[in-house]
Amino acid sequence: MGEKVNLVLKPLKKANPKLMNDLTMRRHPLRSLLCAFAVGILIIPGYSPAQLKLPPSVAVDKGKVKPVCNVVGRKAWRESQVIEGVQIQESVLCDPDNPYTVAAAVKGTNNVSMTTLMETNFAADSVIKKNDRDGDGDPDDIIIKLEVMEINGHSPDFVGVVPTFDVAPGIQPGMWVFAPKTRGMSTESFVSLAANPMIRAPSPAIRVEQGDRVWIVLENTHYFPHTIHLHGVDHPFTDITGEGNDGVPQTSDKYVLPGTRRVYEIRPRQTGTMVYHCHVQTHTHLAMGLVGMFVVEENQPDNWVQSVNIGAGHVRHPSVGVLAQYDQEYDLHYHALDKELHNVIQNYNDPRLIAKKMNREYDITDSTEDYFTLNGRSFPYTIRESLVVVEPNQNIKIRMLNSGSEMAAIHTHGHKATITHYDGIEHNPVAQITRDVYDIAPAQRYDLKISTIDDGTHSYGQGIWIFHDHMERGITNDGVNPGGDVSAIVYKSYLSENGIPKTKGIDISAYFGRKFQTRGVPVFANLDAWNSLGGVFGLEPEPAPKQAVPKPVVTPPLVTPNSGNAFRNFIVGLLLGLAVYLLYIQREHVARLTNQAVALLKTSTGGVK
Amino acid sequence: MGRFWLIPTIGCFLFLSTSVAEEPDDLVIHNNLMDHGNGHLMDMGGGMVMGQNTEVLPGGCDSISEEREITVRAGHKYSEKFPGTIFAFDQQQWKVKPCAKLTVHFINEDNIRHQFMVHGLPKYIYKAGMFHLEATGPSKISGTFIVPGYDQTYLVHCDISQHMEKGMKGQIIAGKGGISMPSVPGLTPQIIPDSYDDETLKTGGPPPSPVIPTGSIVVATAAGGSLLTGTLIIGLAFGLLGAPILARRFKNMTPAEIIQELSSMATKIIDWLITKSKPLVKLLSSLNLRKILEELDHYKKPALACLDWSKKTLIKLINRFK
Repeated sequence: MGEKVNLVLKPLKKANPKLMNDLTMRRHPLRSLLCAFAVGILIIPGYSPAQLKLPPSVAVDKGKVKPVCNVVGRKAWRESQVIEGVQIQESVLCDPDNPYTVAAAVKGTNNVSMTTLMETNFAADSVIKKNDRDGDGDPDDIIIKLEVMEINGHSPDFVGVVPTFDVAPGIQPGMWVFAPKTRGMSTESFVSLAANPMIRAPSPAIRVEQGDRVWIVLENTHYFPHTIHLHGVDHPFTDITGEGNDGVPQTSDKYVLPGTRRVYEIRPRQTGTMVYHCHVQTHTHLAMGLVGMFVVEENQPDNWVQSVNIGAGHVRHPSVGVLAQYDQEYDLHYHALDKELHNVIQNYNDPRLIAKKMNREYDITDSTEDYFTLNGRSFPYTIRESLVVVEPNQNIKIRMLNSGSEMAAIHTHGHKATITHYDGIEHNPVAQITRDVYDIAPAQRYDLKISTIDDGTHSYGQGIWIFHDHMERGITNDGVNPGGDVSAIVYKSYLSENGIPKTKGIDISAYFGRKFQTRGVPVFANLDAWNSLGGVFGLEPEPAPKQAVPKPVVTPPLVTPNSGNAFRNFIVGLLLGLAVYLLYIQREHVARLTNQAVALLKTSTGGVK
Repeated sequence: MGRFWLIPTIGCFLFLSTSVAEEPDDLVIHNNLMDHGNGHLMDMGGGMVMGQNTEVLPGGCDSISEEREITVRAGHKYSEKFPGTIFAFDQQQWKVKPCAKLTVHFINEDNIRHQFMVHGLPKYIYKAGMFHLEATGPSKISGTFIVPGYDQTYLVHCDISQHMEKGMKGQIIAGKGGISMPSVPGLTPQIIPDSYDDETLKTGGPPPSPVIPTGSIVVATAAGGSLLTGTLIIGLAFGLLGAPILARRFKNMTPAEIIQELSSMATKIIDWLITKSKPLVKLLSSLNLRKILEELDHYKKPALACLDWSKKTLIKLINRFK
């Protein structure tokens, strides 16, 4: 480069010393200024003066935080109780499942009183149970209606998303879920933008009894086509009318279009922990959240199963078969979200644009997952509702599903669990493996047996024993630790009144603030008296962009919102402005010089090659 | 001759009978609702009325001004005339007199739930200020409420997630009405519109690459990003406007002098900021900043759109001058 310039300049210098003098030496006050600025700009990025004193540590406030347990007045929900004749287990979590919802899910919305129904958000025709065909005391014709709901979606009328569902403090990725058919508003109330408690991630765990006649009714309330594929659940390829029943648009039933309904009819002969998910553009639709656990319980007398488990987690009314061997049952649904995918529905309103951005521009082969959820939430919110609360000498059944697009390696502290079932099939009892890391592939299900027998293998004794993905990105929220799918097995003696573990480590309250989640709190803040590993003034990274980002100013490729370069860009702009002014002021002179230079080049081309 | 009058009559009759949309055979009529008090009616088939009021006169009404009945149809098919929507009502606007007793017959023609939800009614009569009809189609559900006695425009929508955003929205105008609702299909524009600038139909070929306007001031940085950002434009403006002033100030100075002058200016500015910011910080912390920011947030998208527009105009201008 420099050589080329010299090739031009040398003959120029020779030919016209006065012109060169003009080019290089002419003084205009602004030129000096420009020079000063340019030097400045070169220095800025690598500015590191030799200093005797390094910048001091500064105390960084954790910002506004939410209470660790924000749920008040739910004491009655936590207790063991009987509603509509349904025995509901105790759930001493901060945010326990609504026992009325559990009762309605067990009895069917058609079999509970209006008072009970009004305590829930169920539509009256959401779960219909009737006809005890085998005369064993429980209904065998089951209709479960599912709608497709968007959470943290776009509005053309205001900045922000609706209805909101926080995965972690201030983290609101756009998602789609199957939701049990609800009634009334999508939000909690007229004044709130928060989604009503039945519209949440993950899609609910569905439970039916082996041999039941089950109609899964998909009422597509969404603006895109969807289907349901009953992954692993015994279902015929076509139903009795000859309609396809596999949920695959290319081979079985067609798309279930917006505003239409499709009934999937099954009579599962085999038990097990299975999956249901949308099979339209599966690479994006499943990742968006249209995937849930589908459990077929053993046929037992008087076996009223909890047909939907909203938000998965603790099964407060386990089936007869499970209760025969276990004290408690938990559904653990792991998922992972790539924010680039989940932002699409927040940046556009026109469904045609969303379809294009999501399925023609977004490229899953270039994707990286950013948020890792357990039952729809990431740490710290997992400790409000996804703890496995145990007592000594109990047997706990865990049903585990990984719906992320990569392996998870779930590790239980303090416990080695036995994998009893893979993908719904019981493993030969003699060959069953007891271990403490469960490597679970995408769409795979494990049934685990955790025994809280303090024998040094099954349990190491009472405590707060976390369990988490050991693919370490899984314990972060977009790279910020702690976060992700961390939860804990907590012995009741370690649980406080409001359902929060009596932790013995550092203060966890900072995690409940937006500032922490957006990288605003130094990792080792206030470690000691003089804050030796605290923040350094001026070196704090800018907070990460807000999740519910307003639409980029122009199209994303043209403008990269890069706040780190803002100052630099401003200075470059300023310089350009000054240069333009200078050029304008000196236009006659410049024109003359250019003409001369061009003329010179033309005449001397022979000499310069 | 005298019988010919029959022809137009029959024709007219036929026309009328076909112009009424055909009801599907399996249309469920929700006419056996259970009254749960306070204007809340429900049946086990998912039919629901909330805020029913046939008697209580709202403020400003001495009597019922008119008894109106409207039939509203809802479904995917009504979105056909509004590109970029998926659900819609068959009409988007209804005009009534203040104090009108309005009976709404809501016919949902889809196989899913839809709602006819009116907002902004007085809360002392209507719970949460709402009148609400809901049913899973194909079905018909009816309800009645009394419109308050002043000019106002009321939001009508379906509150199922994204149904309003994707087109199922309208407004009831009482008397002269009030402020129109935004983004009512075919009637009012969206506050935050989508950008269709880069939507040229591409068939095959390589995947879309970033579009860089030719000859514009877009300069690729070493990091591969684009320099054309808001701050650059602001800098450019400052440079252009400030150049004459700076030229006067730094006349006949050497670069070294200028740097010295600049650093002393910077020191002065920082001093000034530190002394002045203390009372400002005090003032700010006494204000409810969060609330103000929320208010400001409301204007953020229009402001960004404005910036976007100015930037595009600037690029256009630059291209033209080139």
